[in-house]
Parts: sequence; structure tokens; C-alpha cells
Amino acid sequence: MYKYRAEITKGEEIRYISHLDYAGVMERAIRRAKLPAAYSEGFNPHIKIAFASALSLGVISDAEYMDFEMTKPLCQPEVFDRLSKALPPGVKLLRLKEVPEPKPCKGKKHKALMAEVQEAEYELYVPLTGYWQEAVQAVEAYNKAPEAMVHRVTPKTNKMIETKQYMLKPVKLSMAGDLLKLYMDIAITQSGSVKPGEILKLLQAEYNLPVDEPKVLIKRISMKGQGRALIDLV
Amino acid sequence: MIIKLEPEILQAVEKPARYTGHELNAVHKDWESTPCHFALALPDVYEVGMSNLGLKILYEVLNAREDTACERVYAPWIDMEEIMRQRQIPLFSLESFHAIKEFDFLGFSLQYEMIYSNVLNMLDLAGIPIWSRDRGENDPFIVGGGPCVYNTEPIADFFDFFIVGEGEELICETVDVFRSWQEAGKPEGRQGLLKRLAVLDGIYVPSFYNVTYNQQGLFADIEPACPEAKPVIYKRLIKDMDSVRFVEKPVLPYIDIVHDRIMLELFRGCTRGCRFCQAGTSYRPVRERSKDRLRELARKLIDSTGYNEMSLTSLSSADYSCLGELVDDLFSDFKDEKVSFSLPSLRIDSFSIDLAHKMQQVRKSGLTFAPEAGTQRLRDVINKGVTEENLMAATEAAFRQGWKQVKLYFMMGLPTETDEDIVGIAKLAEKVARKYKEVTGRWGVTVTISVSCFVPKPHTPFQWYGQLPEAEFHRRQRLLKDSITERAVKFNYHDARVSVLEGAIARGDRKIAQVIYQAWKDGAKFDGWNDLFKNDVWHEAFAKCGIDLHLYNERAREPEEKLPWEHTTPGVSKEFLLREYDKAIKEQLTEDCRRGKCSACGVCPSLKAKVVDWRRENV
Repeated sequence: MYKYRAEITKGEEIRYISHLDYAGVMERAIRRAKLPAAYSEGFNPHIKIAFASALSLGVISDAEYMDFEMTKPLCQPEVFDRLSKALPPGVKLLRLKEVPEPKPCKGKKHKALMAEVQEAEYELYVPLTGYWQEAVQAVEAYNKAPEAMVHRVTPKTNKMIETKQYMLKPVKLSMAGDLLKLYMDIAITQSGSVKPGEILKLLQAEYNLPVDEPKVLIKRISMKGQGRALIDLV
Repeated sequence: MIIKLEPEILQAVEKPARYTGHELNAVHKDWESTPCHFALALPDVYEVGMSNLGLKILYEVLNAREDTACERVYAPWIDMEEIMRQRQIPLFSLESFHAIKEFDFLGFSLQYEMIYSNVLNMLDLAGIPIWSRDRGENDPFIVGGGPCVYNTEPIADFFDFFIVGEGEELICETVDVFRSWQEAGKPEGRQGLLKRLAVLDGIYVPSFYNVTYNQQGLFADIEPACPEAKPVIYKRLIKDMDSVRFVEKPVLPYIDIVHDRIMLELFRGCTRGCRFCQAGTSYRPVRERSKDRLRELARKLIDSTGYNEMSLTSLSSADYSCLGELVDDLFSDFKDEKVSFSLPSLRIDSFSIDLAHKMQQVRKSGLTFAPEAGTQRLRDVINKGVTEENLMAATEAAFRQGWKQVKLYFMMGLPTETDEDIVGIAKLAEKVARKYKEVTGRWGVTVTISVSCFVPKPHTPFQWYGQLPEAEFHRRQRLLKDSITERAVKFNYHDARVSVLEGAIARGDRKIAQVIYQAWKDGAKFDGWNDLFKNDVWHEAFAKCGIDLHLYNERAREPEEKLPWEHTTPGVSKEFLLREYDKAIKEQLTEDCRRGKCSACGVCPSLKAKVVDWRRENV
């Protein structure tokens, strides 16, 4: 098997598709590219494809990572060109590397992409509804707080999550045109993480951040392991 | 006006990708430099609309023309509609996001009667007057097509014109006429274009006709009111399926849709002659694509989409004359690409089972058969041409191949049906369940019987038959439920309330438009969705309009009566339909003209068409 890691985007055109749909989009793109993709066994074979971390519906990204396997060796430029040409609007292939086979003597397998990711950086753009100074105070108060809980309710879960444990750096803020821009660096761990949108809701509700929260636009700008972009780990 | 949806809107609705477009293979043309703008609509939610094969074809046919920009629009789901109404966002297209009102044409694909309320709702959301008589020079022309054109009268007053039959050629002729009218400076305005269109074969302009009613208020006659209008409009059909344009680059949705796979259309028409079936009369005669053309199309479709599933669609796919060879060829063409194939409809015989086994390989998801009626007598009445032995042989073969789920489709309320026929459904299902035990020596099969309520449809031999009253459907449903003793048999039945309304609208006349309008005004929409169907609203609408619904659904028509749908015809003669009704009552069978003798239905002579069956051609 020949394994590749791709650095790809999720653009404005497909901002509102789910992670599962995004995976389907990539699977079909690999098929259109006519790459000799490796398939899972069984009566419903799927392309062997793995993603680093699910991206929420409504969030775009400059740094998504996907590992996929092929049954025949092809040179990197050919794989790059074929896949690039087959991508739909909203996905761009930025970088592509072959993941070398681990040395058999070490008896190790490839580490799953999902297990390599440790942090993700985000930018949030949201209309400011009050004064800049109020925003600064709100963010500072959050950054200083020893802990800050969010209540996560989904059809499957209903729990309290302490957010500060995941904040690798203080939240930063600046203005980008008319919009307030927030920067977050969030840890992704085996035991869990927190979403940037959840932090924003918390900032608004508990720290009086004066923003029009439903209008937020979120972008993932990096995904890293050991402080490096996931593709640089290859 | 170009509509831009704010993030706060998209983040507030379910499945926002229904409204954001930008799919692969969507066609974007420059608005200003393209003279004809054609919006194609399916009046249901995106996932349903995107699954419609007819619209996929017309989208490519229209966009192949340099002078035409064809764009898509579907019904916004109720959450989105609420926001659009609050913020006064008009209905928009998914390519250029132009307001629908700015298009030259808005075409609706009309798949079934209970979708009409959504047509009205979409017109209203677009800011286009609901009634055709209220439209002005700047409004789009509203055009209807699809299976419902074989009785357009209940919606005739909402549409400017209809395309009757298969649209690939006629829709282009329509645009040609529009272009010359446009370039001539739009002489005589809207009326001018409609007059020019009315002379085309297959175009029906309802406003060019006068309808009369008798003393009881029942439909009496419809007559042309201007020289351009033809007394009878025959459907259009494609004579050579190989040369007509088919889908090659379908718009690829980003989200899961109802039929999220390639649809390869093997042929049109089905001449098995089931007497309840409107598709069986309206798509005649059978016209196959050649095996080579299908292979070529399959390759193009896989390459342009990346799908790994392909459905070989037709009214009765197992009847494709070269099916065995086609399947072998497709298997070998796509063996390295892990493409799976499926047949949406199975014939009740072991050929179909072997084929299904081959196609599904290991995955035994469940087989569906449609015996339609519970006793041989009633199956003969409907000319189903399937015996109990056929069903037993087919299910036996299926159980031997490892299937343990069988779904059986039946209808209730067919002409001449007695309680014995109802009990027969239960008996037949139980016999299938016991067959499993006999074949495998074990229990563990599930036989699901799905029973719909029969709705008599125009242009079928049962078009004169009075539909059962709602209470009688309920009684027969209970009778069937009580007749099932085997635990392996599961019973699903349809909502009789919807069927009786469908029964009234399907054979309605122009007076029904008022009822549809009233029901929509009072909140009816997405009537095909169980949880949104508002039965009371519809019955109140009939009452408010002073129209007795039973005169439409339960009343048996007289053979000599002129029916409100005879002027838009698939070409099947009234004599043939009457002859078939008579044979039904006498429990006599009629052969499939494709293999047996011609039943003189009238389609081939009236449309100058002929059966295209490649096995026969090659002999």
C-alpha cells in the first residue's frame, strides 16, 4: 500500500456541509481522479481514507488533512495534478506528501492521523455591537479566569465542560474591517476538546462580550501535532 | 436582484447546503449576455428535487444551448420559508441566485397531485401571481410538465402552458419560439408568445379553451376558444432513444439526497398492461436504448461524478431485452472501480432473482415484489400476469440465495375487490413466510406487506371506476390486519385520508383549482410529507368552495361521459381503455404487445411511433 497525506481546504462554497458529507465529497473526488485507490474489504467497499479532526458545519478551513491509500505507486506530481483537477468548488489541494512505510524492524504501523492531532487554531469574525474596550475587558476576564464552564447539549450529550484546560494560548482580539476578529488556539486531546463557537457563546453570555453571535464566521487556520502542521510530521 | 443569504440565516436552518449551490457540474452562465433564462423547479425539498431524472435531463438539454441559462430551484423547507417570509427574501435560483421572478420561464415538474400546494407556495414566495390571468408582462411564463399533465385541469388556471409528454425536443422548440418572439420585440406581449407556442405539437395553453358544465355542475365539455388552440393535444415522445441527449454530467450534490447514485435509464415505456397503472399507458410504446449506448453513458456518468453506485432505471428494468449481457458488460467495465449496480424494480421470476443475486453479490438488503392483489382472480382483473406459482418460485429462489427479507406491495380498493381478496393478501404473505421455513428449515424471515389505497387515474382502464369511501378503506385495512396470524408478516398501510384527496384531485376538473388555492391559503403545503399533511384544511377547503369531493373521487363515470382530461392524451384510445375495463370485469387477460400480439391501444398509429426492442431488432 502507498499512503499519501493531503493538506486541503474547506472553502466558502461548502461552508455548510457536515464532516460526513465532506468525507463523501473527497471520496468521490479521488474516484473521479482515477487514482488507484485502496478499498476496504467487505461487500460495501469504501476508499481507505482518514481525516484528522471533524470540522463543524458552518466552519471553513485552510488546513484540513486527509490520509488515503493507493494500491500502486504513482509519483507525487501525478497524484497531485490528478486530484487537484478532480476537486469540486470549495476544496483546494495545498500540499501532498507520500507517507513512507515505517521500517519493518520497528514493528510499528502508521500512526492514525486522528491520533496525531493535538491542537487547532481558529479565527472568528463577528460583528461588534458595543465598544472595543468592552470587548477587550471581556476577553481579558476570560483569559484570566482559572476555569470557565460551558454547557454542551446535543441530541447525544448533555454535559458541562471546563474550557480553560483546552486553551493553549490566551484568546486574542483585533479589528478586521467592521468585524471583531478573535484568535483561539485550542487543544484536541484523546479525552475531548471544545469548539471555538462554544467559547464565543460563553464569552458573550458570561463575560458580556458585545457581539452579534449568530452572525459569526469561523475559520480553522491550522491543525498541528507536536507544534507542527500535520503534513510536516510526514 | 441577486440574493445573498447571511450566515445567521444559514446557521439557523436545517441542512443549509440545500440553499447554497456551487455543486460540481452545476452550470453557471453570464446572466446579461444570455438571452433566455429558464428556471427548472421541483416543488419539493432539495433532496427530493435533486433526485429527479427528468429535470436532470432537461437541465443538460437546455444548458447545451448557448442562448439559454437553465438554473434550479426547489421548495425551501418550512424553517427556511419562515425566515424568507420574515425578511422578504424572494425565491431564488441555485446557480446565479437571481430572484425567480426575473427568469423568462419557470418550469415545474409535476410528479403527483399532492404536491400542488407547494407549486402555489413557491409562486407566492417568488412574488409571482398565483393565477395565470393575473400575471403581467414582466412575470415569467409558468410551465408544467411531468406525469400530472395527463390531467392538467385542476391546476390549469395556475399555469400559462403545459408540455405534454417527453420534453427533450419540445422544450427546445419552446425556447426557439421564445427567442424569435423576443427578437421580434415581443409582439402582442404574453398572449403573443402563448399563441405561437399553442401551435406546437404537445403544447397546451389552458387559457385558450372554454369549459362548460352541465346542470348538476359536472364537467360537460372543453373547446378551443381561438384558432391556435388544438382540440386534442397528443403527448410528445422521443422516437430514437440512442440519439437523444441524456444526462452526462449531473449536478453532484454535497449532501445526501434521496437517490444519491447514478440513474441510467435503460428504456421508456412498459406494455405489460396492468390496468391500474397510469405510467403503463402514458409512456407507451417501449423504446429501448441500445446496449452500446448505455455502456457509453455509464462510463461518462461514472467519470463525471465519482459515484460508486448505479441504478438501472426504467418502469420495469428486468424487461430490458439485453439485460443479462448489459449487466455482464457493466460488471467487466467497472470491475476495478468498485461500482455496485441495482435494479429498482424486480419482476416476479427466477431470472430476476438470479440477476439480483449477481448484482448484490453478498449484500442481501431485501427484495421487493409487487403482486398488487391477493388472489388470482383479482390479479387477472388488473392484468397483472403473475401467478401464485410465480411468486412462490421467485421467493423460493430468493430464500435459497440467502435473502431473509421480502417486501410485497399490494393495492386495496381495486375494482371488483371482495373481502376474500383482502384476506388473500394475508394468506399469500403467510405462504411466503412458510416457504422460508420450508427452504431453510428455520424461522427468521420478515415478510413486509405494504398496502396502498387504490386511486383511479386518468387514461387508464379504471378511469371510470368510483373510488372507495375512506371508511371502507379503513374497514378493509382492519380486516387485513385481523387476518394476519403469522408473526413473520408485518403490515404497513397507507394513509387512506391522503388517497381519497388524491382521488378527488387526480380526476378533478378546473373547479378544483379553487379548492387547491383555498387549501394553500389555509396553510396546506408539503402534503406528501406525513407529518405536515393537514387533512382538515383540505376538507374545509372543499366545503368553503361548495364542492362535493365525493362527486370527484367516489362517483363512477359513465362510458359516454366526456372526461375533463381527454384533451391532453398519451395517445391511448378511449375504445381501448373501455375494452380493457370490460375485460377486467370479465377477468380476462391482455398480452404484452412487446412480445405477444398488438392490443390496439392506439398509441403507435396516433403518434407514428413504434416499439424499439433491441433483441427483436437484432433477430
